Amino acid sequence: MKLNRLLLIILVCQILLLSGCWSSHEVNTLGITVCIGIDKTENGYLVSMQILNPATIASDKSARESPIVIYSVEVSNMAEVTGKIMLQLSRKINNAHLRLVVFGEDVAKEGIENILDYLARNHEFRTDYYFAVAKNSTAKEILGILTPIETVPGVDMYNSIKISEEEWASLKSMRIIELINSIMADGKNPVLTGIEIEKNNKIDSNTTAVLERTDGYSLLKLSDSGAFNKDKLIGWLDENESKGYNYITGNVKRTLEDAQIDEAKITSTIMKAKSDTKVHLSENEPSIEVKIKIEQNIASIEGKFEISSKEQKRLLDEMFAVEIKSLCEKALNKAQKELKTDIFGFGETIHRKYPKMWKKMKDNWDDIFPNLPVNITVEVDTKQLGGIGKPLFMKEEE
Amino acid sequence: MRFYKKLTLKDKKTRQACSDIRKEISKDINDNIDRLKNDFAYDNDLVIHYFNLVNVGGLACANIYIKSLVDRNTINGLSAELKKLKCECINRQYDMNIDALMEYFSGISEAKEGLDYETLCIDLLSGNTVFLIDGCEKYLSVDASSNEGRSVDESSAQTVIRGPKDGFTEKINSNILLIRKRIKSKDLKVEYLNVGSITKTKVGLMYIQRIAKDEIVQELRTRLNKIEIDGVLESGYIEELIKDDRYSIFPTFLSSEKPDSVSAALLEGKVAILVDGTPYVLTAPALMIEFLQSSEDYYHHFIISSMMRLLRLLSFFLTLLVPGTYIAVTLFHQEIIPTPLLISLAAQREGVPFPVLLEALIMEITFEILREAGIRMPRAIGSAVSIVGALVLGQAAVDAGIISAFMVIVVSITAISSFAIPNYEMSNTIRLIRFVLMLLGGMFGLYGVLMGLIVLVLHLCKLKSVTVPYLTPVAPKVKGTITDTLFRFPLWKMKLRPIGISGTDEPRTGDNNTVSSGQKEKQELR
Repeated sequence: MKLNRLLLIILVCQILLLSGCWSSHEVNTLGITVCIGIDKTENGYLVSMQILNPATIASDKSARESPIVIYSVEVSNMAEVTGKIMLQLSRKINNAHLRLVVFGEDVAKEGIENILDYLARNHEFRTDYYFAVAKNSTAKEILGILTPIETVPGVDMYNSIKISEEEWASLKSMRIIELINSIMADGKNPVLTGIEIEKNNKIDSNTTAVLERTDGYSLLKLSDSGAFNKDKLIGWLDENESKGYNYITGNVKRTLEDAQIDEAKITSTIMKAKSDTKVHLSENEPSIEVKIKIEQNIASIEGKFEISSKEQKRLLDEMFAVEIKSLCEKALNKAQKELKTDIFGFGETIHRKYPKMWKKMKDNWDDIFPNLPVNITVEVDTKQLGGIGKPLFMKEEE
Repeated sequence: MRFYKKLTLKDKKTRQACSDIRKEISKDINDNIDRLKNDFAYDNDLVIHYFNLVNVGGLACANIYIKSLVDRNTINGLSAELKKLKCECINRQYDMNIDALMEYFSGISEAKEGLDYETLCIDLLSGNTVFLIDGCEKYLSVDASSNEGRSVDESSAQTVIRGPKDGFTEKINSNILLIRKRIKSKDLKVEYLNVGSITKTKVGLMYIQRIAKDEIVQELRTRLNKIEIDGVLESGYIEELIKDDRYSIFPTFLSSEKPDSVSAALLEGKVAILVDGTPYVLTAPALMIEFLQSSEDYYHHFIISSMMRLLRLLSFFLTLLVPGTYIAVTLFHQEIIPTPLLISLAAQREGVPFPVLLEALIMEITFEILREAGIRMPRAIGSAVSIVGALVLGQAAVDAGIISAFMVIVVSITAISSFAIPNYEMSNTIRLIRFVLMLLGGMFGLYGVLMGLIVLVLHLCKLKSVTVPYLTPVAPKVKGTITDTLFRFPLWKMKLRPIGISGTDEPRTGDNNTVSSGQKEKQELR
């Protein structure tokens, strides 16, 4: 009996060992991908991977070596990448820490459905990376730009997208789940932020020489937003239009606006922005009403403007409302007249309110949307005037 | 003594080889002395001092003791007194002699009479001096043991900032004194037994009647009586022999060097086992949570004590889990590490020649060696070892690129938190289990660590300490005793003693302890 028990324990222990160390990988045998860029080639894609070079990031090394290395491989479909790239690389690709996927403009125009399928299907990818579209350059070029403060460019761009969206609201960050949802949903189309290289010809930005300079090198810059129709890039919204888009969709967290009142130029910090989209029916024709409610604080007043009185405050609120409304209308005009794609999700709003009617409209929504009457109202409320009341030097000038 | 009889029966065979198997002492003094001389042959320590009681018609008398065990002054005094004995005290009716002597000596020292030859030997060996009188079937044993030994000192293993500093010593009598001084109750009972067929070590079973549960006392008494071993040199022998689950590496008896914590345990209804020759006193039943508690918890403000307890629990889990989890995460689950951390981790791991598991094992084992060496080596070499440990193992290994800096941090946090566990045995246990979890983590990742933890919890649930489940206030939930587990509730809220342990449910504190609101107002008025 005792012997049997011993035998059993030994056998159980051996079962433990049978699996070996399956799926275990030492950290120093991994090629950690931080950024993937996808460009179009004749037979498929040119996929570039920004892979971390950990040895150079150790604190006591100088910035002489590049913190990242770009490996590119031409494949006919995305799934081939992690295998085929091994021909160039000595480490196993680890995609768990991907921060950013950059589509080349050509790929985006052709459609990104097939790429998204791969990214969504593969369990290795975490779902918290962002998407962007390379504007005026290939994705590969974007990946090669070194960024001085945050030495890993992928991480730099990731943080940059996150912070810009919160602080300036001129772009829309997209993660994979939201992107796929807005492509699949009827009556809604995605918007991806664009990345541009701000060229400066003095020095190449894909050498570590940039890390030794304070100025005069090419920079990565988040610029216009790419508007999509389904999975295809249609056109670009500029900075103001992107802001307008974010106001309409209620995606503004904090930003700055300015308004000209008489002689004075007033800048305010938007602290809160809420938007409410409603559908109205008049003679079976739908129309959209967007109500935007904004709370703001005064950031600066340049020139003469007295804000202590109630009338002045009302004037201020109205001027800002006009400014913001014009931003929204710019975005709306661009989407309706030029791009003809419903990036605001108005179709979805109609779908929710009047599902039966939506069924009839669904198939030719792209034709209906450009002529959809949209009424935007903006309400602004100024909350705080800041630490001082009147402009600082007003009295002396009087 | 039942236990004693059993032993003598068992040893009968050897006993028969000797010439004499009589149990009682003989009437003839020379018989007894011959027998003693025979048994103690070649032992030059035995002193037999003949004298005649001149005043009682030259009655033959013998004073027998073991030289090295007794205090010579006491012996001399006793003999002198004895010689001065008057006729009135002792007459020729032999059986009365001892009684009269008893009466005479009772004022001088702890005196008792006996009939048994074996007990006579034990008395001799425990430092008593024995008087034999011709024609008497009894002997008189007077305590004359010398008081050599360490004096009461500050406890070295369990140090406190606030609280009594005295610690137990190697002498059971002084240990009992330390407890008795604290608990002045007639309900405090001590039962003595001799354990060890050769060493005859004095073992004391101490409890407070009424408060201790009778079943537990009885259980311990039978377990102690069952022990068959040649010698008991430390309470660890007793613990190992009467443990509930002999193979479990978790301690199920709490050993303490401090009289105040043993007194506290007695007041909770626990039973203390004192062993002569060691300053470590066992208390049972011991619960898992007690190993994370310190006597100081009760001397500080309850909120601070509760915080300290949580801190100790945290360090318990840190010791247990940090290395295993680190290995599992870096080997199998790189995706759950935040990106900036992974980048710096990858940067540090670059160029390290060992796999992470081996690296961890090397460092952890090195630490264990350092710790062990620190205990065993002479104090004077201490600083040398710490320099070698800190510089060679810490800095140089990282600088040489053999070990990653992160691993040094992992090992250090494990080491430091293992010392935050107040009980040394529990800290040893946890440090050992940590190695198992490291291996599991290295083989199966977090899945393995979790499986290990599940097995651990199952084992703990199964464990019992003297019939009381080990995880008591938590796993079998006992109402009312949760006040003294993870948090220490204020004293006035701890009304009940642990129900599974204590035999009584009378409240520990009264209701009028706190200053009532009425009194407060009065004070304010003044």
